[in-house]
Amino acid sequence: MKRLFLLPYTFALMNVAAVAGLFYFVTRKKDVWLKSKSSHVHKR
Amino acid sequence: MHIVFWLSFAFVFYVYLGYPVVLLVWRRIAPRPVKKEYWEPAVTLVIAAHNERQNLEAKLTNCIALGYPKSKLQIIVSLDGPTDGSEFVVWKYVSHGVEVVHSREHTGKAAALNRALRRATGDIVVFADVRQMLSQNAIRELVANFADETVGAVSGELLLMDESRQEAKSEVGLYWRYEKALRSMESEVHSVVGATGAIYAIRRELYEDLPQDTILDDVLTPLRIVLRGKRTVFEPESKAYDSVACCPLAEYRRKVRTLCGNYQLVASLPQAISPWRNPIFIQFISHKLGRLVVPWALLALFITNLFMLRGIYAVTFSLQAVWYAFAVIGHFLSRREVTAPMVITTGSKRAA
Repeated sequence: MKRLFLLPYTFALMNVAAVAGLFYFVTRKKDVWLKSKSSHVHKR
Repeated sequence: MHIVFWLSFAFVFYVYLGYPVVLLVWRRIAPRPVKKEYWEPAVTLVIAAHNERQNLEAKLTNCIALGYPKSKLQIIVSLDGPTDGSEFVVWKYVSHGVEVVHSREHTGKAAALNRALRRATGDIVVFADVRQMLSQNAIRELVANFADETVGAVSGELLLMDESRQEAKSEVGLYWRYEKALRSMESEVHSVVGATGAIYAIRRELYEDLPQDTILDDVLTPLRIVLRGKRTVFEPESKAYDSVACCPLAEYRRKVRTLCGNYQLVASLPQAISPWRNPIFIQFISHKLGRLVVPWALLALFITNLFMLRGIYAVTFSLQAVWYAFAVIGHFLSRREVTAPMVITTGSKRAA
């Protein structure tokens, strides 16, 4: 039952991420340049 | 208005459902199987690390126990300006044959990989992240694909595990399984669009230094190899294990970085969007660029529908409204259930 709500949420979130990714790329925000601790190796 | 609506609909439909169907048909009509053969060339395993003191011990224990002849396996840890004492952990493993490339300055992962590659001597270079544990046969399975001369890079499989040590069936886990199904089919027709950073391998002669600000080394390097006429294939028997993100929001942060990296990739490698120069142009456009455009198509779909609310459009608007309402409810449900991350040890039955 919960999946009924979490699936659209995850889908929407992934699409918001694409817009945020463009924003970070255009504005050259440095916090996204290197990896986050939770999933990757580097952090600046 | 009608045209924009239906074009947007067709685009979203193609990216998420049409493209997988195209791949399904394509691999039936023109499969390109890899001629795998088990052999034992010299291999260099490269691990780049910044502040990874907590994870390095388990990672190195895992690596030196991998099922590959020790005399043919060079393990390099490229330390990138660690400040947490990571170097002390790595030095303990020097007696096991682990080599250290230590930079006191923190210059980023791409620079750390470049430094490691200058020390590498293996014909095949395997890249791995610190956090994920590798399956015992991970290197052997990757390397077998290089017996096929057309193969220039091989991506392993990243399994996201849940608390019960099964492959995650959460929404994030499902999304990742969908991604892997796409990669598998792309590999069968030519090449995957990017590898799994947790484990992938290339022929050393094909490596080109990465620009220092590279976000996605695991996409840029394999794509460069494809642009040079070789294939990047997917090897599901070479496994890396990680814990699934606790909630969609944690996956969101990783995704922002990945998608930002895709924009950087297009800017730094414009030949990737040339149908004449990129042998996997259709896959690149459908899989990578399509995902960047989908949110704008969804926006167009919703806005144009607002101005057309009769007949079939009343139904489509209702469906969209319900979908986004469910997404909002899902947001609140997700915030309520943040579970603790699972720890995967080298002794894990699945990781063995």
